Amino acid sequence: MDSGLKTMTAFAAPLTSDAVGIRLSSRADLTGFLTQLADEIGADSYMLVAIVHEQERNDARIVASNWLYDAIELIGKRLIASLAHGPLTAAPGTRAQPLVTAHADTASGLLSGEEARLLDVLGHAELYSLRLDVGRQRLFVLFSAAETDRIDPAALNRAQLKCCYALSQVSQLLAAAAVQDPLSDRERECLFWVSEGKTTEEVAVILGVSANTVNSYITHAIQKFSASNRAMAIATAIRSGII
Amino acid sequence: MTRAHASATAEHAFGSHSNPFGGFVGGSELQAVTIPDAVRRCRWIAMDINAEAFGLFFVAPAAERARLVACFDSDYPSVAQATRMVSDPAGEEIVQHTRQSTGPRWWCDDSQAESGGALRDLTWVERTTPLVPGTTGIAFPVHADHGQCGLVVFFGAAMTLSGNAVYDIHARCFSLFNAVARIRPGETGRARAMSKRELECLKLTANGYTSEEIARLLKLSVHTANQYLTQSAQKLDAVNRTQAVAKALRLGLID
Repeated sequence: MDSGLKTMTAFAAPLTSDAVGIRLSSRADLTGFLTQLADEIGADSYMLVAIVHEQERNDARIVASNWLYDAIELIGKRLIASLAHGPLTAAPGTRAQPLVTAHADTASGLLSGEEARLLDVLGHAELYSLRLDVGRQRLFVLFSAAETDRIDPAALNRAQLKCCYALSQVSQLLAAAAVQDPLSDRERECLFWVSEGKTTEEVAVILGVSANTVNSYITHAIQKFSASNRAMAIATAIRSGII
Repeated sequence: MTRAHASATAEHAFGSHSNPFGGFVGGSELQAVTIPDAVRRCRWIAMDINAEAFGLFFVAPAAERARLVACFDSDYPSVAQATRMVSDPAGEEIVQHTRQSTGPRWWCDDSQAESGGALRDLTWVERTTPLVPGTTGIAFPVHADHGQCGLVVFFGAAMTLSGNAVYDIHARCFSLFNAVARIRPGETGRARAMSKRELECLKLTANGYTSEEIARLLKLSVHTANQYLTQSAQKLDAVNRTQAVAKALRLGLID
């Protein structure tokens, strides 16, 4: 009850509002925005990452980052992907939890002792991973600081939403990094109906085309995803948010 | 209902899982949330911004044209007038917006002087066509863990929302929607728990393996592997294994 009331007052009190009307239009604006945001929350580094699901494992595509290039090389994209899209990642509206490299829980399998030390040495003693929803695209941002307890968790939660808003303005810039949708409208439609459990014949009736045409659309979709069958093509499409 | 009463009720419903930021900590407890709980929680948000009415919508995934599907509104268990009056072109516009952007949108009725007052000055929040003609309101696009997408809408000419409160309210909408998205697919028979083996078989099917390959990988007979897949399809109320895979992925039973 007590904490509930405290929450209310926190929302009721007019907090310092930020500068109005930030408009992003270019990649330079995006890096500028992220640098400023990292600064606001007390972080030294940021990394904006899109996760692509390829051949049963996740890979990271870095959209923007101020990490040292060497650090990225040393740590590796695979580890970055598992940090960005891992058990400590906070969705909007949930409380973010830090990964503290000094006493990282190596048993969880997220980091090996060596990797934790490496991150620490490279200036990522405390690391937060946040999920960003930009329309149906999903990205991740890592904020880190060289010392622990420097990042303000309350500011972090707001920064997360602010990031979502800002990235929404430049979604076409992100599209290149995020998963591409290789399907044509018809192929997507066919896959959607198949994922709803419809048979080829039923899809043919729904779309008003012949069963052979439906099969050819689905075959094309399977090829485009380099999947081995329908189930895998559908799984890939769902995982990447296409259907 | 007074604010204190509302907060007490909400505290009771969400107990220790709520945190000052309005989100949840912990996972499995989420499933205990019911629609009336969610309505209460939404009412609590509405009170904090002095909104008169609210509504929660899902953007139904459809092949051609996605559309808004009302989940509940401030008149729960019945349906509010506002929800019935969501205009089609405006609904379509906001659905398009929700699929591309997470920026909140506000609208007002120009015939009323001074309407939308507090909403005009918000950073990041842009104006759009009224979702319901003749109202003032704000819509927050929201996304759940397993890709469901939706909209939390608040109506009221005297809404108070300023500066950082937008982020906080939006974050609470996200967490609310995530809780609702987890209960809604429950209608499709989630009550019947899936066994570990069934999930393993489904996951391998999603990764493109055939029954024969699954049988070899899991050291089962082909018949048993098929049996597991048939059972999982039944439990998920799916007509075939492809749909079972799709449903399991959308429900987050496998990833």
